[in-house]
Amino acid sequence: MEALLAFSRPALDWHALAPELTLLAFGTLITVVDIIWDDRSKQAMPTLAGIGLLATLLPVITLALDGTDRTMFGGAYVIDDFSLVLKALFLISGYVVILMSVDYIRDGDYYENEYYTLMLTSLLGMVMMSSSRDLISVFVALELLSIPAYMLAAWRKGGARSNEAGLKYYLMGVFASAVMLYGMSLVYGLAGSTAFGAIAEELGSLDSSPVAILGILFILIGFAFKVSAVPFHTWAPDTYEGAPTPVTAFLAVASKTAGMVALIQLVFVAFAGRDDVVQPFFWLIAALTMTIGNLIALRQTNIVRLLAYSGVAQGGFMLVPFAVAADAPARAVEAVVIYMAIYAFMNLGAFTVVLAVARKTRSGEIDSYGGLFQYAPGLAVAMTIFLAALAGIPPAGGWFAKFGLFRALLDAGGGWAAGLGVVVAVNTVIAFAYYARILGQMWFQPAPDGDERPVVMTGSLKAALAMTIIATMAFGILPGLVGHFGEVSVLSALGG
Amino acid sequence: MLLNQFLILGAVLFAVGVYGVLARKNGVMVLMSIELMLNAVNINLVVFGVQHGVVSGQVFALFVIAVAAAEVGVGLAIVLLLYRNRTSIDVEDFDLMRG
Amino acid sequence: MEVTGFDTWVLSLAVFLPLVGALIVMLIPKAYETELKLVALGSSLIALVVGAYIAIQFDYGAAGELQFVVDKGWIDVINSRYIVGLDGLSLPLLLLSLVVVPLCLIYSWNHIPDPGNPKAFFVLLLILSTGMNGSFVSQDMILFFVFFEVVLLPMYFLIGVWGGEDRRYASLKFFLYTLFGSALMIISFLALFFLSKDASGQLLQTFDMRVLTDVAGVGIIKSTQVWIFAGLFMGFGIKVPMFPFHTWLPDAHTQAPTVGSVILAAVLLKLGTYGFIRIAIPFLPEGAIAWAPWIGLLAVIGIIYGALGCLAQKDMKRLIAFSSVAHMGFVMLGIATLTDFGINAAVFGMVAHGLITGMLFFVAGSIKERYHTLEIARLGGLLKSAPRMGWILGFASMASLGLPGLAGFWGEFPAILSAYNPGAGLSEEVFRVYMVIAAIGTVLAAGYLLWLYQRTAFGEPTEEFAEQKIADVNRDEWIAWMPFLIGIVLFGVWPNLIFNVTDDVVSGITASVEAIAAGN
Repeated sequence: MEALLAFSRPALDWHALAPELTLLAFGTLITVVDIIWDDRSKQAMPTLAGIGLLATLLPVITLALDGTDRTMFGGAYVIDDFSLVLKALFLISGYVVILMSVDYIRDGDYYENEYYTLMLTSLLGMVMMSSSRDLISVFVALELLSIPAYMLAAWRKGGARSNEAGLKYYLMGVFASAVMLYGMSLVYGLAGSTAFGAIAEELGSLDSSPVAILGILFILIGFAFKVSAVPFHTWAPDTYEGAPTPVTAFLAVASKTAGMVALIQLVFVAFAGRDDVVQPFFWLIAALTMTIGNLIALRQTNIVRLLAYSGVAQGGFMLVPFAVAADAPARAVEAVVIYMAIYAFMNLGAFTVVLAVARKTRSGEIDSYGGLFQYAPGLAVAMTIFLAALAGIPPAGGWFAKFGLFRALLDAGGGWAAGLGVVVAVNTVIAFAYYARILGQMWFQPAPDGDERPVVMTGSLKAALAMTIIATMAFGILPGLVGHFGEVSVLSALGG
Repeated sequence: MLLNQFLILGAVLFAVGVYGVLARKNGVMVLMSIELMLNAVNINLVVFGVQHGVVSGQVFALFVIAVAAAEVGVGLAIVLLLYRNRTSIDVEDFDLMRG
Repeated sequence: MEVTGFDTWVLSLAVFLPLVGALIVMLIPKAYETELKLVALGSSLIALVVGAYIAIQFDYGAAGELQFVVDKGWIDVINSRYIVGLDGLSLPLLLLSLVVVPLCLIYSWNHIPDPGNPKAFFVLLLILSTGMNGSFVSQDMILFFVFFEVVLLPMYFLIGVWGGEDRRYASLKFFLYTLFGSALMIISFLALFFLSKDASGQLLQTFDMRVLTDVAGVGIIKSTQVWIFAGLFMGFGIKVPMFPFHTWLPDAHTQAPTVGSVILAAVLLKLGTYGFIRIAIPFLPEGAIAWAPWIGLLAVIGIIYGALGCLAQKDMKRLIAFSSVAHMGFVMLGIATLTDFGINAAVFGMVAHGLITGMLFFVAGSIKERYHTLEIARLGGLLKSAPRMGWILGFASMASLGLPGLAGFWGEFPAILSAYNPGAGLSEEVFRVYMVIAAIGTVLAAGYLLWLYQRTAFGEPTEEFAEQKIADVNRDEWIAWMPFLIGIVLFGVWPNLIFNVTDDVVSGITASVEAIAAGN
């Protein structure tokens, strides 16, 4: 009883929480507007969601300008440069996804208002994830971003494939959460605290405790499911293919990034002393994920599935720096952050083109891309830029992401890191082989059935395309833009 | 304190849950198995909390319980959706796409 | 040299003008075909004028130093800068690249291969031009890498869209080979970044090629140098291409449209050999010394293999492609000797091969256009049906086989001669064996080129084409070819035009290699 009376409300820094609160407010607002005006409000929903995301960016920017690190809830929730960079990344990716969704959701037979509410809720989880520095807050953020995503994946309620996508995503996701939680309970048991800093101290001093290794591995495996790392990737292609395409883009980019953000905090802070477990684990997982993702992607005929497997492989590339987490921590964090930022734009761009083309062809088969260069040269060039970026060919953005990987690996040095570098190099080549299939189809083949009607673009798709192209090219030609964000992230991620 | 016994209970519950997820075909039973896994986690958390004499374990367990409720809510909704469309809740029936 | 005013811009102008042209062309609707062609040609011609200005302003007394240097911030986070500069090694290659592109545009003016679409064709050629020009003037490894890669996609599309029947296979093969090489190359660049030290043992952490040339790999132990050199070897060697990585070349050449082949032969292959001379050897002298015998071995294998390959070909373009493998073998042999003489010959060989083989591909393209086949057995009597073209083919073949007085001679002969006395303590016995083999290669080269010429140009036209009227060289072709022909003669009778320019740079490189070799 005494303890209860002694409770005092923790000091809240409203400025620091402003992004989360704004997002929450707009999510609620959409629901309220929906209840009051019902169908009449439908037109306004995407706009409202978009404004919500942009409004949330404002406090993120003011916090960044303010520049002081803010810590809340006993260190469980931290606002620093690292978290702000990622919050901005999530919000902008979310904005692009909303632009992609507008016409897709309106034209299809979907619930509109709930769609945007759930999208904002999931983004709220991601925004929280970037600030979480404690097992409990990581867990809450993870579930907050995942649960709406399960529903979004099954959003085409009447469609058998969409249902199946939702089911597979849900089962795998929940199972992964349970495994991860079990690992967390073990780690908590050893450390006696849920804070990452305390965990790092305790785990670092326990050399060969099998329980510690088990706990760490369970947590990492749980997140390996989230970021669809091989061999825990099996849900991804089915879910990506079955889910509505904008949701697929959202899962492939935002959801994966959120998992990576959690991994960064766990690996570089909480498990900092346990490179004996972490580095071999990620070496293996990264090599497997890249290679198997790429090899299976080679055989795909459906473009969404191809992008799904390409996304798996790209996730493998992102996991590469974790394999040198202890040997070159600063370079590794930088590499992951830069990779995530560039990946977000190039992959969203590729999905935007897929959406635009599907408006005409009503097909996701790669064969249906024949003749695109003849009847929609703009889209073909855009897709070429995104695929070149994904393949890592300058001057499109992706090369700098790959470059960051090599830089982290060589900074760490040694045979294992160099070996992984060669694996990355080989995989870059394999990956191009399937990107080239799409390129070849678009550029070298005639349109199937000679159907050369132009593709009708809508304003929001054009806006999404413009944003992603500009970002992809800018990151490629002036990588300093994204490199700077990578650099500031390092300072705070490792400092905290 | 019976620390080890509790931990063994947790481990056994967890293992049973994993087995259920992997072996059961009925969607609802799979959900129940996942609940078992989560409860194993809760036992661990509470026990460790008591052992360390800190409250964070129990707090964590409360969060897990709350989130698990939300998760199962969504899960049941999805299973219900499937039942409406396919009149089956056997998870192995859903193989239109093969990863 | 203090760079001021306009001179700070000239190199960047020469590099980026074609790109600007490409962007403008992209904005012009397809229907305005003449206009967009004019813009494309105009931008490449202005770039050429800028190139001429550079050539005039260039201080030939200080050809060993970088001139027109611009050093501006670019990617601060990785300490990579926008550094461009030009010395005697870059100048001939930059000019070659600047000359070839407008000529290709003129040649294609009315000859856009199927499936047409001049807009895309010209845009790709201009982007290609920017990539090539940029590679030759970059003095920062990352900048070099970016330009080096920029050429890949346009070439891929040129082959893939406008190429022959197996174009998809050929374009993909070209791309995958080079991409693999460049991935290993960037790893090596990074290794250089992290391991390079200055004389006092301080880590440099720089991509600045000027600095890395100066330190000449002093801080990197030999075994590491050998590994890093291996990565660079893959990157540049595939591009050259050296045996056994050459297999993409015959396919790419055979399937590529005419101007694609010309640019590939005239400029793109030079990026590889240029990389060896500019980066691999000066940065890693010890690695170079360790690798030189192997490079020499692969070079002579390439010479013989290319020659024998030529003898087995039925297709004229494929034959020229194999002769490229052989010629680049001579260039690599010159480089492998690590002597002043040999590397100068190699640079000369690069320019000469660019002009001569480019010319041969032009003629092959025109023959293909008229006869709709390049099968040697079906051709014949070119001198009768189109005498001027026949003479040009003969002239280019003679130049290609190394006839003294034409440009080809000065690339091959000194390269062979230099192997008699290799530098940097390399084994004389080994290189003398190489020399003998390479000499046999020249005999074979004479054999296959004369055989080609005899079968296509002499005699009567085959029955199939006896009745057809074969048009002789037309105006566009004269304009496009004349500079090549003049160049071949000019450099043939006056080789010092190039040797004098390149020698300062090359002797600087070989001197530092010799110094390292003497220190061991």
